[in-house]
Amino acid sequence: MKPRWTGFGILVLLGLLAGVVLALTACAPPASSPGVKMQRFTVSDRPAPAAEQILRRQISDSPRTLDPSLSEGVPSQNVLEDLFEGLTTITEDGRVTPGVAKSWNISNGGKTYLFHLRPDARWSNGAPVTAADFVYAWRREVNPNTGTEYAEALDPIVHARGIVSGKMPPDRLGVRALGPHTLQVELNYPTPYFLALLSNTYLYPLYPPAIKKWGGAWTLPEHMVSNGAFYLKQWVINGHLTLAKNPYYWDAKTVRLRQVIVYSISDPASALSQYLAGGLDWLNTPAFPTSDTSWVRRRLGKQVVVVPYYGNAYLGMLVHEPPFNNRDLRLAMSMALDRRVLTKDVMRGLAVPAYTLVPPLPGYRQPVPAWARWSRARRLAAARRLYHLAGYSTSHPLRVKLVYPTGGPSQRQFMEALAIMWKQNLGADVTLWNEQWKVFLQNIQYKHAKLFWSAWIGDYPDPFTFMQLFQKGFAMNYGDYDNPAYQRLVAAAQREPDNAKRYRLFTQAGRVLDATMPYIPMYFYVSTHLVKPYVGGWKSNIMDRHLSRYMYILAHRTH
Amino acid sequence: MLKYTLKRFFGTIPTLFVIITLSFFLLHAAPGGPFDMERAMPPQIKANILKMYHLNEPVWKQYFLYLGNILHGNFGPSYVYRGTTVNDLIKQGFPVDLIVGGFALLGALLIGIPIGIIAALRQNSPWDYGPMAAAMLGLSIPNFVAAPLLILAFAVALRLLPAGGWAGGSPLFVILPAVSLGLPLIAYVARMMRGSMVEVLNSPFIRTARAKGLPEHTVILRHALRPALLPMVSFLGPAVVGVITGSIVIEEIFGLPGIGRFFVNGALNRDYTLVMGVTILYGMLILTFNFIADVLYGFLDPRTRHQ
Repeated sequence: MKPRWTGFGILVLLGLLAGVVLALTACAPPASSPGVKMQRFTVSDRPAPAAEQILRRQISDSPRTLDPSLSEGVPSQNVLEDLFEGLTTITEDGRVTPGVAKSWNISNGGKTYLFHLRPDARWSNGAPVTAADFVYAWRREVNPNTGTEYAEALDPIVHARGIVSGKMPPDRLGVRALGPHTLQVELNYPTPYFLALLSNTYLYPLYPPAIKKWGGAWTLPEHMVSNGAFYLKQWVINGHLTLAKNPYYWDAKTVRLRQVIVYSISDPASALSQYLAGGLDWLNTPAFPTSDTSWVRRRLGKQVVVVPYYGNAYLGMLVHEPPFNNRDLRLAMSMALDRRVLTKDVMRGLAVPAYTLVPPLPGYRQPVPAWARWSRARRLAAARRLYHLAGYSTSHPLRVKLVYPTGGPSQRQFMEALAIMWKQNLGADVTLWNEQWKVFLQNIQYKHAKLFWSAWIGDYPDPFTFMQLFQKGFAMNYGDYDNPAYQRLVAAAQREPDNAKRYRLFTQAGRVLDATMPYIPMYFYVSTHLVKPYVGGWKSNIMDRHLSRYMYILAHRTH
Repeated sequence: MLKYTLKRFFGTIPTLFVIITLSFFLLHAAPGGPFDMERAMPPQIKANILKMYHLNEPVWKQYFLYLGNILHGNFGPSYVYRGTTVNDLIKQGFPVDLIVGGFALLGALLIGIPIGIIAALRQNSPWDYGPMAAAMLGLSIPNFVAAPLLILAFAVALRLLPAGGWAGGSPLFVILPAVSLGLPLIAYVARMMRGSMVEVLNSPFIRTARAKGLPEHTVILRHALRPALLPMVSFLGPAVVGVITGSIVIEEIFGLPGIGRFFVNGALNRDYTLVMGVTILYGMLILTFNFIADVLYGFLDPRTRHQ
């Protein structure tokens, strides 16, 4: 008798087949299949015709709000930078340059700024941008009734702190309109990064009539009035934003893009697919899943841009509670990490090893501890010695929980690598504990976690944005670090008008920090981008800020 | 029939009330609040924000406040998307899910039902094994696997369709999400249709019809089809809801601005009002479609009415 396929047999076979398909797709991200041909472009050096001047870019999440005073987070910033302009703005490569203010005088030992506004700066409805619009916006920002999330950013301005805490009325803020186009700002201390700060979202001017008329709904496309190179045409939350060129912008003649379409895509694999399918011109961090790095580099060549970003990731610790009230232990834990392996192998080169708090910055000398340059054997021997000094051994190992927020699979791998290094190099038992973001935040705020993940992106290119993290009383000093020498040095740096001297004081403060090690530095961030060869006017920069006003589409053919 | 319908209808109201109450208190019991941020806010500002949204009041008070609002059809302001109301977000996102889900379901029925019927008529032949094997495969490949494969094939390799985005629901952008969502459904519908058809074909009244010497197509179309479609009616209620709520993954992969993503983002960020709004909407959908299915069933099958 001929054998016949039974229904059961077929089911088993199909089950196997489905299993194979699943296994295949799970191993290889679909887009990295070898058979797929990549798009190729022949690009000329001329801009494309006006009709084609449309840039399709991506942001990693939908902006929570488009109200510059209420905004926080990178996605909002990415969009608001195109819609609004502060007294200063930034160049293609991220340097500070005059924005609405065409010039300024600094007097009183760096504590008084007098800004001269461009008479031709206009709102998207044609009305002139005046000094009063800035006064209105800044008072609104510090007014506790507005419910802003980042009012501390205005701390350098006289009385900002008192107003935020409700002790003074908002009109006491140290900012005055001396004329329609003259604005005076009084600062508490010379703040060399103040001009950089002015280019940020929370210091943009606002158009009072729109807010007075529409209230919270003023950010809707039909009501919004803005003063940037573009105005808001359409906003689909979690979908896309369409920005159109603002004809009233003072520098409109140099703006070549007719439209910018900004897509909110949170899944890097989806973003990559859309980029490969030709639906997007530029992807911003994370431009692709970490696991696809080598494939993306191989197949997309020069379209891949990986550059340093002004941010760091470190582990925080409760320094007044056992076991981390012991400096030797903290230092041993830090020295026991092989940062090169972590960044190069685990993170696939998408990070820079960090041995100190502040990422590299031109003019600032990083205080790198001596052990960072030691051979691995010497470093580990020293780490073990400190570990024993702290009272731990193989028979009495350190047992502690490392708490971190739930992230992607690469985050998990990184944490596992840390635990393995501590186990192998010291014999410490570190258990990993991940928590949903909000749960995590609450636990570190209530000091329930002894060893926890931390990360910080600088707000402006100055060491202080990181140095404040370990200042006594600063809200994000979750480990409660309190070192008088560090406090003194940072305070002295804040009073110092000479920037070179100021940076030297920060370097010294950094040395104090690294000698006491109230944290474990891990890596500095990089930003990752995929940029089509026909996108002109795009330049990488350490603050990872890119204004669409400089970009344009080059004439090109796609094969 | 009217009494039956009314009884069913009023039965849904307490259920909805229980859903609202349970999810409200569960949500507020989750650690962290909507305004617990990475950058801790100055206490004065935080107090003001909490006051603005009545979050400083005891939870039971917030609950009654909320109940009062939803009775007026007001789902409140979103805490995460500030300056936007939950009503606006649902109005924006729900049509996306309706379009994608609607096409997925329609396609699944149009393809699945004929396949099921043919398989039942040609039992234990290649016409049965082939489609049923394919259906098994369709059922066992989850849509988060099918969707990237479809994107790879039709968007990245062939460049026929966009890999994502919505573009206001223009047809090209709807195809891939609807297909990814509908594939497992086709399989489900086909298998169910085959099962019920086989059962009906073996029942005495079909034997009678055949014995009368009726031509086969009359037997199938006139006598067998209607009772065989009955289970499909009760399946449709949950299926509509399943398609709409099940699109969360699809929305994420294709970057669609539907309510599924609001639901997930809202839950992760403790946007109480947004999550409540979507929960109530989902709850109402499930109850409504079950109600419709019940009534239809009662209409089609007199036996249920008298029980």
